[in-house]
Amino acid sequence: MPTFVYMTRCDGCGHCVDICPSDIMHIDKTYRRALNIEPNMCWECYSCVKACPQQAIDCRGYADFAPLGHSVRALREEKKGTISWKIKFRDGREKNFESPIRTTPWGSIKGPAEYAAPRPADFANQELAHEPDALNIEGGLPALRRNQLKQGVV
Amino acid sequence: MGLFGGTKTVHVDADILVIGGGMAGCGATYESRYWGRDLKIVCVEKANIERSGAVAQGLYAINCYMGMQWGENQPEDHVRYARNDLMGLVREDLGYDIARHVDGTVHKFEEWGLPMMRDPKTGRYQREGKWQIMIHGESYKPIVAEAARKAATEVYNRIMITHLLMDHKANRVSGAVGFNVRSGDFYVFRAKAVIVAAGGASHIFKPRAVGEGMGRTWYAPWSSASAYALPIEVGAKMTQMENRIVLTRFKDGYGPVGAYFLHLKTYTQNGYGEEYEKRWYEDTKALVGEYVDHHPVPTCLRNHALLKEVAAGRGPIRMVTKEAFQDPHKETVGWENFLGMTIGQAVVWASQNIDPKHTNPELTTSEPYVMGSHATCSGAWASGPEDYAPSEYQWGYNRMMTVDGLFGAGDTIGGTAHKFSSGSFTEGRIAAKAAVRYVMEKGREAPQVSEQEVRDLQKTIYQPLENYRVGRNEIVAGTVSPSYLLPIHGLQRLEKIMDEYVGGISTNYMTNGKLLSRGLELLAMLKEDMSHMGAEDLHQLQRVWELQHRLRASESVTHHTLFRQETRWPGYYYRGDFMKLDDQNWHCFTLSRYDRKTGEWAMEKAPVYHIID
Amino acid sequence: MLTNNPFATLTDFLPTFAMQAYLVLMALAVIAGTLFDIAHKGSARYFFENWRKSKRKSRQPIGGGELVSIAVKTAVVDVLASGEFCSLRRRLAHLLTMYGFVIYVVTTAIMVFSYPTPATPAPAILPQLWWLGGLMVLAGGYWFWFFIRVDVAAEGHSPFRVVRADLFILSLLASVTLGLVWAFVQARGGAGAGVLFWLYLIATTVLFGSVPWSKFAHMFFKPAAAFEKRVSKANGTRSNLPAPADKPERLGTLVKHARHY
Repeated sequence: MPTFVYMTRCDGCGHCVDICPSDIMHIDKTYRRALNIEPNMCWECYSCVKACPQQAIDCRGYADFAPLGHSVRALREEKKGTISWKIKFRDGREKNFESPIRTTPWGSIKGPAEYAAPRPADFANQELAHEPDALNIEGGLPALRRNQLKQGVV
Repeated sequence: MGLFGGTKTVHVDADILVIGGGMAGCGATYESRYWGRDLKIVCVEKANIERSGAVAQGLYAINCYMGMQWGENQPEDHVRYARNDLMGLVREDLGYDIARHVDGTVHKFEEWGLPMMRDPKTGRYQREGKWQIMIHGESYKPIVAEAARKAATEVYNRIMITHLLMDHKANRVSGAVGFNVRSGDFYVFRAKAVIVAAGGASHIFKPRAVGEGMGRTWYAPWSSASAYALPIEVGAKMTQMENRIVLTRFKDGYGPVGAYFLHLKTYTQNGYGEEYEKRWYEDTKALVGEYVDHHPVPTCLRNHALLKEVAAGRGPIRMVTKEAFQDPHKETVGWENFLGMTIGQAVVWASQNIDPKHTNPELTTSEPYVMGSHATCSGAWASGPEDYAPSEYQWGYNRMMTVDGLFGAGDTIGGTAHKFSSGSFTEGRIAAKAAVRYVMEKGREAPQVSEQEVRDLQKTIYQPLENYRVGRNEIVAGTVSPSYLLPIHGLQRLEKIMDEYVGGISTNYMTNGKLLSRGLELLAMLKEDMSHMGAEDLHQLQRVWELQHRLRASESVTHHTLFRQETRWPGYYYRGDFMKLDDQNWHCFTLSRYDRKTGEWAMEKAPVYHIID
Repeated sequence: MLTNNPFATLTDFLPTFAMQAYLVLMALAVIAGTLFDIAHKGSARYFFENWRKSKRKSRQPIGGGELVSIAVKTAVVDVLASGEFCSLRRRLAHLLTMYGFVIYVVTTAIMVFSYPTPATPAPAILPQLWWLGGLMVLAGGYWFWFFIRVDVAAEGHSPFRVVRADLFILSLLASVTLGLVWAFVQARGGAGAGVLFWLYLIATTVLFGSVPWSKFAHMFFKPAAAFEKRVSKANGTRSNLPAPADKPERLGTLVKHARHY
């Protein structure tokens, strides 16, 4: 289902150009608004749909196998931490869904350098950052012994 | 472009260069900073790390979580599981290494804000299956990208890395080059250690849909095999490149079936409403012997039964959902499973009026993909953990390839099946700590970059723009030129060659030595044609280099498929000339090494080590 | 200079009605151009078909009174305050350019029609506003051209790359720039004022004459689109979008949308 852009909603802000993982959202030369230049490289990931501040981008299922008349639209509300979906079937049935997208404020992740620096001895062992605490188990990081591995049949 | 359309060269010196800002790349960036407080950590990404990689649209489950804190699984259990699914051939040392760390990664994800579903009875993460837990992962990638941005000295978006640079005095990587997809500027990265965390290979076999539908691949269309082409080109050894994966998924949309099978407890039937898998037990046993009795049934063997049933004329295969979907909670899970992971499947069903409450939807097998993090494990041959890896698997730093200073994580690394998103991020972390140690131990040694090589590469990288600009003068207009090919032309040729000769859908995944040899001939001609690619603009130039990477990976896949003279994974592909599994001769890894000077591929076997029992 | 009506001295070599006729002609060109564009593309038909579809599917039918109130909101928020823009700098640039253009055009018309000759000097405020309007257009317009234009800001093109979408902004900038330069040179009594005037006239003619091919008419289409968007939200169809989640804002805003390449 490749994306397309509504003429009356797009104001050419470029957020979709910035976000598209496939580099297929670009700017039309006549209208200076967005368009999908390569629908056959569109994964329907909806990154552009979600990123558009005007909700100007929608999807129409791939013509290879999706008949017309359907609609799957999303409203991602970052500040609320939600994404809402409205699915409309070709025959008019409708389904609505709402999911959380994050439980913590945006920008709130503690950067790795904000933790106490590892001690020199830590570099030589197998523990990664925040271990063994982050594993929340007794006995420290599990390990094998070399002689636990036996060469296979051949 | 610059003010007047020109481009410049940008030099970036880094201690650690992470190529690729997906799950593995973000993990590598994060961990590099933890261990290398004063190091210059640079992450470079072809798109925008906010949504790049295979997790762009989100995930609905984390498929690799032990649950050690609740005694649910131990790391060796996961190794046995992955080994079983891959018919015995995995790097158990690497797999154990990821499995022992991955729980910590998942706990950090939750801490960072990823909404985890919880089992209402036990309060633990809601299990989808033995290894899988369920999440509301629409923003999985933005959350992980935030962690990476907080760690990196600099994140470079929209820069496609086309080549690694080597220090020619030693077998050591010294950096990478590429171009900015927006400004066209040429970028030269110098680094003391490089972690390749790029994408595996989609679009090397012809997909089932060939129009707009080409975009609806199971694995992201922007995974252009850079994870393989970059190391292959500089002579790193690769392993198991023949181990391509074919997936049984919902028809056309390739939507995920995991939650359906495991959580909703659905099952499959043929077109007549019959259970069919057991029907093919003897047939499968004749091919693989006692492997057919393993539990759970390996993924490829389940594919095999489906393929046989369809070939016998009793398709289409359907998943029985009508029962499960009567439960409103399960219905919600079923739909949200797509919306959080593969929105396209919801679109397909909406467009065809398929409501799983009233219709049992069709399943199909996909075209083949080559990657390293799923029920498959193609990729670079890497050194294992120092504390227990056997000597054949260990040569210094964890996750370092056979090129000094060149590390890998995620789809890049071979032999580590079933790591998925959390395992890839974890592997990034593992590689990062090792890379930091490597940088510190190498001291002040700056990598040597050959100015001549950089200049030559610059010319090579931009050549397609020049080919188009000049060649365009020959024709009036249109896409057909006798002197240059557009990237889509090359891609379609590649996909057709691989499809017809290397076991794609049109041959029902069948190939043999003769077909493979002919495939190599045709790939060789395509390789020659690559110097005649024409790119109209920077976007097309990116497509050219994606094709170049895909082609290099395809050559590797074909050589490996030719080398392994058995059918190890029926249901993924078949060697018509060696139809049976042959543990006597082929219970081993295949390794290859490409010599770019001679264009030759050297193949060899490597031993497989198993955890006892 | 700032207090002189630059158009008054034109009557030295042009009949009074010439400039007035020219302004009327330019206004007609805009109207005709817009109508031609609508007819040729069938955009009015599309708009009204869409309107009818939305009305048919509406959950909460809209009464006349509510429609009027929506129209007022559209006019005040979306049109007068350029409220649809989410980015502050884009909104500012647009407000500058829009109001600058309005002030500039209105004062031009008043000066040409009501104070056409040196015998009828315009009150000083008029040329001052003319200059202010013109400078606002240049400030907003060049800011947009070099820094805000999405082709440059997101696509990485050189600011000097020109495509058809640039016809409006370029002809606008050319017209106003030449107009102010002409007025400046004329006030100094400099040679070349004559040539500059004719260049100014050509650029202005291109600006108003190219309406069928440029983005000029967006100033009429956009308010209609904004109105339709508000109605679609009010009648529950929301262009098939889901309703906003019934949850409070609590997670702050990620600071992003820095330059992405």
